[in-house]
Amino acid sequence: MSGPMDARANNAGRRGVGARVPGWARPLSNERGGSGSLRLAENTIVILFGLLLAVATVNDLVGQTHVNHRLAADLRTWRTVTGHDYRNLDIEQDIKTYTSRDVVCGNVSPGAPGERTQLCLVFEGSVVAGKRAISGGYYLPPKVTDAAENRYSCFGTAASSGLCGRSSPPAGAPPAPAFKTGLGPPPK
Amino acid sequence: MSSLVAAESRSIEPGGRELNLLTTRRLRALAAALSLLMLAGTIEIVIDASVGHSPLVPRSPSIANWLGFAGERLGYRVFLIALLVLTGSYAGMLALAAGSRRQVISTRWAIALVAALELIVFAGPILLSTDVFSYIAYARMAVLHGVNPYIHGPHSIFGDPIYKYVGSDWRKVATAYGPIYTLLTYPLAVLGIKGAVWGAKTQALLASAGTLALTWRCARVRGLDPKLALLIVGLNPLYFVYGLGGAHNDLIMTLLMMVAVALTFAGREAWSGASLMIGGLVKATAIVPLPFMILSRRRPAPLIGALLAGLLGAALAMAAFGVNGLDVISALNRDAGFVSTDSFPTEIAHLVGKPGIFPVDHDLLKGALVLIVLYLMWRTWRGYDWVAASGWTLLAIAVTSTWLLAWYTLWTLPLAAASRDRRLLAATLAIQALFIVHQNAPLLAPVS
Repeated sequence: MSGPMDARANNAGRRGVGARVPGWARPLSNERGGSGSLRLAENTIVILFGLLLAVATVNDLVGQTHVNHRLAADLRTWRTVTGHDYRNLDIEQDIKTYTSRDVVCGNVSPGAPGERTQLCLVFEGSVVAGKRAISGGYYLPPKVTDAAENRYSCFGTAASSGLCGRSSPPAGAPPAPAFKTGLGPPPK
Repeated sequence: MSSLVAAESRSIEPGGRELNLLTTRRLRALAAALSLLMLAGTIEIVIDASVGHSPLVPRSPSIANWLGFAGERLGYRVFLIALLVLTGSYAGMLALAAGSRRQVISTRWAIALVAALELIVFAGPILLSTDVFSYIAYARMAVLHGVNPYIHGPHSIFGDPIYKYVGSDWRKVATAYGPIYTLLTYPLAVLGIKGAVWGAKTQALLASAGTLALTWRCARVRGLDPKLALLIVGLNPLYFVYGLGGAHNDLIMTLLMMVAVALTFAGREAWSGASLMIGGLVKATAIVPLPFMILSRRRPAPLIGALLAGLLGAALAMAAFGVNGLDVISALNRDAGFVSTDSFPTEIAHLVGKPGIFPVDHDLLKGALVLIVLYLMWRTWRGYDWVAASGWTLLAIAVTSTWLLAWYTLWTLPLAAASRDRRLLAATLAIQALFIVHQNAPLLAPVS
């Protein structure tokens, strides 16, 4: 990189803009030769930062894979305990306190997503044999958002933590049995 | 002795040529196979996406359903496998183009392959993003409904047929795009919904073609291999699947940046500065190369060109949208607060055991970005390639952003292809590779 161009640039720098500034701040038209140590430092920083990003990416990928594994277990458990092999289930993760608590909601009878009474099951704990333990749950009327004022017939942890805002099911609602918590079989 | 060596050389030479010919043929066959893989992967994505809405294909007016005759709804598994195939083939093609002195990939072949991939994606539906529907919604708000898109979000036209296609996160959000871009989308408003989508896709295709042509030109001016530069950008899966597939205005932004680079190389620095300013009024990040260009050229022309273009653009923005059309800073500040799961700061937060990004992290990241920019400005002042410095800054913006989307990693790519510092290209491709790796959780553990 060093050559006549650099010499011109350096001379121009000394006579013009850069006459009163220290060497490191003088303008140059081309990079000076011999800036190998600077490039080495830059390369080292970029490579180290790249390694950090690579480790963070792989760590996040592994973490997300575990979360997906958990969510798949939630869906599988919901389908098993309800006996409904529905594809369109709503799944909500705990993004406020970052626990592994998930809520899966789905219709209690066949219909478009959210068009029937919804059964929402709360899952906690680790995945055991492809399934997760039910810690509680509640019901929602059709076509409403999953908010406290719409929830009824809470059971398990949903009841103990006061997730239900309605004291009774709406008129004409289908039966709302409490599901057994833990990894047990569905209620008869 | 010397005549003996010469005689031996002569006797070996024909065999050596045969060997060379054989190797060249094998490498060409490999390049052909990789090209076919890229075409097959792209066709698979487009045909499956044409079937209709899926987690990867936004709800969209039916513009390419006829292509979905043989497809299945595009799911994560097929898409990610195709993306990995495209990425691997891209790496192989670059290695073949860069690593061999032989003409393994002819110029015609390179151009034809890039054109074919772009046209296949152009013919298909909108992929992986609802942004284009926001562009159209803002245009329709301004042109058909008389609503200022710099004050209101698309929810102000909830009765308009475009509204249902706008992403749910963006329905109440006023536009963050520059006023020149919003004006560029005005013609789309009168084309109907399908016509507007095709119009936006055409804008993106033309911008992409222009970016590719200018990348070629700039690389040649700098004594770099223009064909390799074309392949670096044109075959990049994130470029044509995400960028062009989503008809993102980032392609218009990169076009204007490359216009500026080409004009600088042609000695037309005032026009170059003007081009960057216009780019900045399309999408703010296009302005990034301007300080580096000014520091490098040390002449007032780029600054004067930028200021004149800025004044003209500001006058247009004021006339069309009032003072709100110029309030880019508040739009940038708002967007800087967003957090996406794909962003590197989020990944680093998870690595150190934090659940996510906190307000203090935003400040730290902004501080780090300022330091990087100051360092690169000093390096440019001391003779470092201003194109590379601009590229590093855009890469740093993408990496430090808490809201990272695939098309943000494209900003650097044409600059890296035309840069003398190959470290920038390596870093850009590495960042893109990490982005692609991070997408693969649904492939490793599907949720269904």
